[in-house]
Amino acid sequence: MSFVWIHEDAMSLDHPVMEAAGLDAQPVFIWDSQHHDAEAYALKRRVFIFECALDLDIPIYCGAPQIILSDLADRQTIFTAASLDPYINGVIADLRQTHAVVTVDRHPFASIPDDADTRRFFRFWNYAKKTALIPSEETI
Amino acid sequence: MTKTTHLARLRIDPNILSNRADLITQVRAISPNLDAMDTVVSSIQGGMDEAQQRLARLDPSAYGKSRNHLDRAVTGLSPFVRHGAMSTRLIRDRALELAEPKPAEKFIQQLAWREYWQRIYNQFPDYIWHDVEPYKTGFRASDYSDDLPDDILTAQTGVACIDQFLTELLETGYMHNHARLYVAAYVCHWRRVKWQAGARFFLAHLLDGDPASNNLSWQWVASTFSHKPYFFNLENIEKFSGEATDTRFKTNKVLAGTYEDIYARLFPNLEPQS
Ligand SMILES: Cc1cc2nc3c(=O)[nH]c(=O)nc-3n(C[C@H](O)[C@H](O)[C@H](O)COP(=O)(O)OP(=O)(O)OC[C@H]3O[C@@H](n4cnc5c(N)ncnc54)[C@H](O)[C@@H]3O)c2cc1C
Repeated sequence: MSFVWIHEDAMSLDHPVMEAAGLDAQPVFIWDSQHHDAEAYALKRRVFIFECALDLDIPIYCGAPQIILSDLADRQTIFTAASLDPYINGVIADLRQTHAVVTVDRHPFASIPDDADTRRFFRFWNYAKKTALIPSEETI
Repeated sequence: MTKTTHLARLRIDPNILSNRADLITQVRAISPNLDAMDTVVSSIQGGMDEAQQRLARLDPSAYGKSRNHLDRAVTGLSPFVRHGAMSTRLIRDRALELAEPKPAEKFIQQLAWREYWQRIYNQFPDYIWHDVEPYKTGFRASDYSDDLPDDILTAQTGVACIDQFLTELLETGYMHNHARLYVAAYVCHWRRVKWQAGARFFLAHLLDGDPASNNLSWQWVASTFSHKPYFFNLENIEKFSGEATDTRFKTNKVLAGTYEDIYARLFPNLEPQS
């Protein structure tokens, strides 16, 4: 069985990572309080994250994600949502030493070329608005 | 490898979501290093019910007209967006069900701000904690303090409206965009504290705390990621805040004055603003 690591940047089972992982994949959430400590998260932030995790109704483990996931996945592929967070990417890099890890992008908000000018928001918006103002079902 | 994970799987009472006190106890139990003095929990609850209720109140056409007012219709969806519980794409689609593209544009443009900051984060990860450019305030980075003073951390600056905004941050983990701008400008320009200290404080408390949206906005206010510093005056707060905000002169003296006066006070090394 493959596992899907649901991390704090993508707390949803509607993310395309679930489809990529397949119907029998098991999503899990991992509560890493040392990471919260390092980020100095106040209690209210932790409660909010915990409530979002509980709401997904999936197994929750406590500890370091790299250890728990490599133990759980036992050489099977691990799927997870792509993220920009260096902590999440550090976990993925660690896991890749022993496992195949597939990262999956979310569905885009708008189609914006990679080389779009980001020096000013309004230039970026000029690209973005060509598709951002159209419902997704019409752009698929 | 030995199977040890069964030890780490959390046992969850099936009713826990309906009993917040128990839930908070469990969060404490699995956060052993959390400061015992930190007892504040937000009224904003995580989970899709709350996110859906907020989405159901969306009025994209009204949003465009009143989004800058502290007491009007913003969505409060940012904590859910930040943690990927609800996507900007889904919210955009809902906005376009409720309104034509033209009246919905201002709202969808705000969603695009998040995409914009994320794009910059992806292209330039160093921008998150390093000054993109020098300050354009007439001061060097070394003229700014590294740490936030206690009166800001505890919402006791003595400037009434700033204390109200900070109290909201500490108690709810949320602040309106305009209040974030006011507080960030107060920290950087009135108190001359490095934007990084303010950004760290916001990330600890905001339920939507996001390295890109937060830190790059702080840099924009500070002027290390814009061509001039953002600042305001009491009159501006008065214009955009409702009855609930204390904007009296006698309790907010340091914020009062014309833009020219305040500019001269905050940035004495720059040419006077006409
Ligand atoms: C100093 C400062 C710090 C900030 N820190 C954060 C942060 O840590 N996390 C965060 O998500 N936003 C941050 N913002 C941006 C903005 O203030 C919040 O996204 C917004 O206030 C969230 O409230 P809302 O959901 O009611 O927004 P709404 O006005 O209802 O907007 C809908 C959604 O659009 C997005 N959005 C709207 N405005 C912005 C914006 N200016 N930048 C980025 N996204 C936007 C958010 O995802 C928001 O949920 C910051 C702004 C400033 C000036």
